[in-house]
Amino acid sequence: MRFARRKLDVTPPYVSMADIAFNLVLFFLILAKTQDDSNRLDWVPAKAAGGQAIKNPLISVTVDRDNRVYLNGQQIGLRDLTEKVAALLGDKPPTERSVVLKIHHETLAATFEPIMEAVSQAGGEVVHVIEEERPS
Amino acid sequence: MAAGPVGGGSGGAQTAWVLNLLTDLAFNLLIFFVVCASTAEDEKGRPQQMPSASKEKAAEQKNTNIEVAIGRTDVKVNGEDVPPAQVKAKLATLLAGKTRPEDKIVVVKSAKDAPYSHWIKVTGAIEQAGGAITLQLEEEQEVVR
Repeated sequence: MRFARRKLDVTPPYVSMADIAFNLVLFFLILAKTQDDSNRLDWVPAKAAGGQAIKNPLISVTVDRDNRVYLNGQQIGLRDLTEKVAALLGDKPPTERSVVLKIHHETLAATFEPIMEAVSQAGGEVVHVIEEERPS
Repeated sequence: MAAGPVGGGSGGAQTAWVLNLLTDLAFNLLIFFVVCASTAEDEKGRPQQMPSASKEKAAEQKNTNIEVAIGRTDVKVNGEDVPPAQVKAKLATLLAGKTRPEDKIVVVKSAKDAPYSHWIKVTGAIEQAGGAITLQLEEEQEVVR
């Protein structure tokens, strides 16, 4: 007895592929967002007026709740700060020399003033990250 | 993901399968826009033009420029206590007649225990009043024996 060979009709699952593509986009978006190590540091910004949106900051200096200083998410000593910021800034034009300072609101001047001085000496433009104060 | 069987079936089953896929897509789109919205939130920052803090220069400027001393909770302008809320008005008055940029320099001296939240408000008021900030750092004392 002979059986007729059935022809297999395989259609690629285009809709499922679109799902996978979307999920991949989401995966890379979330990955890119968590790349910035300074997001995981424990600090609360000071409230003040006059804030402007910061676009793509290249260098960030963070002071956390425990007065630890971080350069781009990596803990660093104050003595090395000027040298390392200067190295990161290199020969960048003045418009790209912004250094964002994420200083915990309770940090004392004894800690944050030397940081500002170090950034200033390295040729960086200080940008304080603040929380916009709403008028009461 | 709720992908149904590939192929077809009865009319009702096919409708259910298409609906499943559409729901999947709708969820993915929703998550996509939620993630996009959360990344679009920019941090707010305040640029501060700060001439390099030099002890000698600050000492020279001390005699001619306005001096603001920031304490733990208080503020002194040229040695006179000023409520923090009135610093802007006070400085605007003092800077009113000054036209040259070098005359608008305000020397800021902070107590070691002045918190950042207080400091940023006072320096913000100085800038809003038209002043240019220069930090005066406390000199390290060398003990000579």
